[in-house]
Amino acid sequence: MLPRNKKNNFFSGPGIRTRTARGLLSLGALAIVYGVAAEIGRGRLPDRIWLGTHYVENVQLLPPYGSLAEEAVFLLQSGILLSSIAVSAGRVLLGFMLGAAFGILLGIATGRATRAEYLADPWVTFFRFTPALALLPLFVLWFGYGEGSKVLLIAASVAVVTLLGAHQGVRSVPRVYLEAASALGASPGLAFRKIVLPAALPHIFASLRIGLGLAWVTIVVAELIDARMPSLGYLLTLAGAYPRVPTMVVGIATIGALVLAFDLLALAVHAQATRWMRRTA
Amino acid sequence: MTASDPPRLRLQAVDVGYTYSGPTATQALETISLDVHDSEFLAVLGPVGCGKTTLLRIFAGFLRPTTGSVACDGSVVEGPGRERGYVLQEDAIFPWMTVRENVEFGLLARGAGPAARGAVSRELIRLIGLSRFEEAYPKDLSAGMSKMVEVARVLATDPAILLLDEPFGALDAQTRARMQDELARLWERRRKTVLFVTHDAEEALYLADRIVVLSPRPGRVKADFRVDLPRPRSLEARFSPAFSELRRRIWESLS
Amino acid sequence: MERLKNQRLMLGLASLGAMVLSYTLLSHSHLLRPEIVPPAREIAVAFTELVVGTHPPPPMEGDVHAGHQMHSSDHVGTLLQQGVTLQGSLAITAARVLFGLAAGVPLGILLGLLMGFSRRADDYLHPIYVLLRSVPPLALITYVMLWLGHSEAHRLIPIVYAVAATMVIPAYHGARDVLGTYVLAARSLGARRWLLIRKVLVPAAGPTVLAGLRYAVAIAWMTAVGSEMLMSENGMGNLIVGGGLWASRTQTKADPAVVIVGIVALATAGWAMDALAKAGTARLTRWVR
Repeated sequence: MLPRNKKNNFFSGPGIRTRTARGLLSLGALAIVYGVAAEIGRGRLPDRIWLGTHYVENVQLLPPYGSLAEEAVFLLQSGILLSSIAVSAGRVLLGFMLGAAFGILLGIATGRATRAEYLADPWVTFFRFTPALALLPLFVLWFGYGEGSKVLLIAASVAVVTLLGAHQGVRSVPRVYLEAASALGASPGLAFRKIVLPAALPHIFASLRIGLGLAWVTIVVAELIDARMPSLGYLLTLAGAYPRVPTMVVGIATIGALVLAFDLLALAVHAQATRWMRRTA
Repeated sequence: MTASDPPRLRLQAVDVGYTYSGPTATQALETISLDVHDSEFLAVLGPVGCGKTTLLRIFAGFLRPTTGSVACDGSVVEGPGRERGYVLQEDAIFPWMTVRENVEFGLLARGAGPAARGAVSRELIRLIGLSRFEEAYPKDLSAGMSKMVEVARVLATDPAILLLDEPFGALDAQTRARMQDELARLWERRRKTVLFVTHDAEEALYLADRIVVLSPRPGRVKADFRVDLPRPRSLEARFSPAFSELRRRIWESLS
Repeated sequence: MERLKNQRLMLGLASLGAMVLSYTLLSHSHLLRPEIVPPAREIAVAFTELVVGTHPPPPMEGDVHAGHQMHSSDHVGTLLQQGVTLQGSLAITAARVLFGLAAGVPLGILLGLLMGFSRRADDYLHPIYVLLRSVPPLALITYVMLWLGHSEAHRLIPIVYAVAATMVIPAYHGARDVLGTYVLAARSLGARRWLLIRKVLVPAAGPTVLAGLRYAVAIAWMTAVGSEMLMSENGMGNLIVGGGLWASRTQTKADPAVVIVGIVALATAGWAMDALAKAGTARLTRWVR
């Protein structure tokens, strides 16, 4: 059962170019399938739907690429899309940075000092198991309907994840490194800065990436629940109210693209910051 | 069978070469020709990086030689086969199975029923002295014990040929000596054809009938010795003059 | 070791105590309106009401607390009118979570294992997976509603979707990181495809997959609550937000006592399910070094 290609190695396989080609192929196929489905649906799908209290006419359940393009252009030109993106992304970034800073610092502290960990334990456990969204009404009550409540909500969920990540990272430094360092005469401070922190970086970056994804999930729902203009969540709610399906699809696609972009960025930063790590064979 | 009958060829490598492809292509082996005879204990000796593991992997069927060919019992080697039992250098005992389940795995693959499997595994586990650990998980075993379980695992399927890749490399000196004894005893009971890779000259001398010495990368056959020490090999053998003489010759050929 | 355990307990309790103490001080200090920071007593009252399902009897004439704000807030009233109880809502949300897990976990694991073990499947499917998981499940809920209307299915789909997307990654990595040595050893012992998969690949990937399970449970709770807050007349999300459907949401002012009761109940339930998951997976990973 050895591979019948030019390579003789049991472990090798097709090269990077074939693999990218395959990926593009499947994405292309997906795009084509959607286009075809939308065309077929134009004639077949019902265009009258029940919205709980009334019927709505002329609804395209699967908008063809033409309407999507039209809608996208309209949203861009009118500035609606860009301002929504700015607001939502801004909230995510702000909340993310606040939460990450807090979470990492606290996580490092609890990782280093067991007593700090014991103190923080009940709080962390509580926040860990509370779905962040459940805190939204409370935050709204305490901090008003404005930006504050949403940003703080994001910060809270990001903080929990990054705290756990930083804690884990600091805790999982192999003891041999620390022993070698102290045998070489390093002070605890130096050992911490030059050994513990770098060794904990991969965990921290992994949790940052997860936290970023979580931040987006949180903000989208928060904006859906408490929708006010301009924001991506509001865009979706508005689109759902008429309903204007092309708007909805463009909105969803925009959110997806943003999440993906942020995630790829986080991945790139992670890779760059940990490029000294040897890849395990 | 008289002494003049040529022993049957089990494994044969003809002008085998292997080059690892990649950003820096490395030639691991260069035209190696090797014959392994039936019931022979052949040790392949060489420094680190001389391509011994590569050679063994080729015999095992996991690598296809860049040049030349390898045959087993006359037919070209196309892939792994049950007649060639292979014990890797790395830890390959399955940690999610007990010792008994590990040993029985090859029989399970062959479709043997629980009763048959149990009988064979029980006997082999007794043979390696680990009856007490039959239901233990590998995490509770020492490195030496784990390796012996892997050897028993491979013996369970009763292959005619055994390919062992530095199985005792990771063990301390005493454990290694003990394991060598165990292996020697096992072999003397069930005379299989064994191809044993090692970088330890003493180990090779203690266990083998024949030693092939490889040069550093790219590996070529540098020397081929017969080891005529009496069997069964014992502790005294290690200190006999014949042993020392052979050891000297080997050191000379290695340098 | 004993001293450490005691320390843990004491510090934990101390921290908890400090939290309760500062909260009580805050709520009684009149710095903030009681509508925002309800005193513990009100929280307890809200809790009982929601559990029992009815308003408490009005206070007697000479009752000292008669002048205190009565707890027949909009929020609780609306909820009680609909026959909502705390345990009922919790049960409903838990049921949705369990359904989401039951459907989403196998789906995600299958996809992850497939992509992890087969380079070809990985090449074709990974980009699609990345695209799909980039869309937050609850963002889809408005779109899905157009297709399925206000049915239970349209509330459950985001949960299944989120759980599946979450389980793909651990399964993928678990599969990819299965040591080649195990595969080599198994194949040289004569194992062929099915035996290899069943007895070698799956157990080797097991621990990583199971670790991801706990995370999937947390995601399931969050998505379920979010889904309920947006589009459901029952369940904990609904309880917290104020009962009733979308349109009437804004009319009911959320009562913080109810919200706090809801949050604590959710946290407890989430913690319990996580503990179960941890115990369950511990047994399956007894062999891990």
